[in-house]
Amino acid sequence: MVSRRVSTWTAEAAAVFAKEWRCELRTRYALNTLALFTFTTLVVVSMSLGPIGISLAQGSGVLPVLLWLILLFASAAGLPRAFVHEEETQTATALRLAATPSALFCGKLAYGLTLVAALEALLTPLYLAAMSLAIASPTLLVAALAAGGYGLAAGSTLVAAIIAQARGKGTLFAVLSFPVFLPLLLLAVELTGKAVAGQPGGGVTLVQLVLYDASVTVASLMLFPAVWNP
Amino acid sequence: MESLKDTLAWLLWLWICAVVLGAFYYAPLAIGFIGQSSRILFFHVPMAWTAFVAFIAAGVSSLRYLFGGRDARHDRAAAAAVELGLVFGVLATISGALWARIMWGAYWNWDPRQTSIVIALVFYGAYLALRDAIDDGERRARLAAAYAVLGLVVTPFFFFVLPRITYSLHPESVVNTRFKVDMEPRMLQVLLAGSAGFTALFFWMLNLRSRLQARQEIAERRELERG
Amino acid sequence: MPGTEVGGGIGWVAVVNLVIWTGLFLYLRRLHGKVRRLEEMEKKP
Repeated sequence: MVSRRVSTWTAEAAAVFAKEWRCELRTRYALNTLALFTFTTLVVVSMSLGPIGISLAQGSGVLPVLLWLILLFASAAGLPRAFVHEEETQTATALRLAATPSALFCGKLAYGLTLVAALEALLTPLYLAAMSLAIASPTLLVAALAAGGYGLAAGSTLVAAIIAQARGKGTLFAVLSFPVFLPLLLLAVELTGKAVAGQPGGGVTLVQLVLYDASVTVASLMLFPAVWNP
Repeated sequence: MESLKDTLAWLLWLWICAVVLGAFYYAPLAIGFIGQSSRILFFHVPMAWTAFVAFIAAGVSSLRYLFGGRDARHDRAAAAAVELGLVFGVLATISGALWARIMWGAYWNWDPRQTSIVIALVFYGAYLALRDAIDDGERRARLAAAYAVLGLVVTPFFFFVLPRITYSLHPESVVNTRFKVDMEPRMLQVLLAGSAGFTALFFWMLNLRSRLQARQEIAERRELERG
Repeated sequence: MPGTEVGGGIGWVAVVNLVIWTGLFLYLRRLHGKVRRLEEMEKKP
């Protein structure tokens, strides 16, 4: 009985995930937005601060900040759509009847995660190459990207569910997500800086980042049913 | 009952007047502070404390709204607490900035406490922006409460990060030995009395604001029913 | 703050403070009265 419930839950989450990607591949809205945004910002940053524009010592301080700002704004441009288009096309009501809230949330979160992962996989190598930034500790950098990216996806999913039911969705997402993401960004920038420069103490920051991810996940799972169902 | 409340209101007025007079004539000047500048702390610290109390009250009301039966009273209390918390927070920020100009030579220098209050003001400003963007009362209450709780979950992480990236100029940290261990007893008395008085004032204002809001909502509903 | 006397008289600051707080109290009491009146009106249909 319990195992059947678990399997239907997983099937629901997987169905939501698959549906998101099917919709996305049909219009390629988020993918195009993310790619274009990434490309533009990368060109701007690289042209003005490239290998010649900034010294290596300054670079390891400034470049992690820019990397996370690009990631923040790219995800703010692409991720909220997951819930906004459900309300706009009036499919939200059907989804409310069909899916368990937690399964729906996890499906949407998995979609957001793959999107952020794709973005990071595309952006980071290009960024490092364009800035000719040497990485002292590649594992720590990957951990920072994974934990930070997860936090961005999880926070965005809940905030997107909130703003999808309000007016002025685009601006409201930026306004609401900024204070929520602030600790995440500070931690991620710190960790990335440590990975680039090879400073000690990265472990503590990573633990705090993972704690942030866990808290946001637990809070989102608790709050999502109230946000989603009237 | 109502006459008791009247008496309490007058007692609170007397209390606050006593705090004001105490701040200027009873408490001595703090050593190491320029001129009379330490007197602003008798208003600055209680205001910051009250803003903190208000934001906690808003969080508790939001939790009670979401998980305690969706009573519209809790939603009104949360919204009113946020509004009042913003007022007290802005006053604490202004009084702190004035004092910082005198003591540290600059209105603003991103000390951890200054950073935290700015983040709090931005967060609760966003909360009010969210409320403004939703017309339906039940939906507004639900989403705003969820956002407030999300904020409560995220804020503790600032306590990890901020001390590492900024360093504190605040008296409690810098002149710790003098300020915390043997703060002048008369100063401490005025500070505590002020905090208690402002907190009582906050709860009175919170009560009035939520009741007034309830009356407005009922009046609007009646208007709609009449057509 | 060079050139500014911060240690001047404090009497007027205390008076301004008392005036502000008393004003706030009178306003809150009026508000309290208004809320009570509205609540009374609601009880009557």
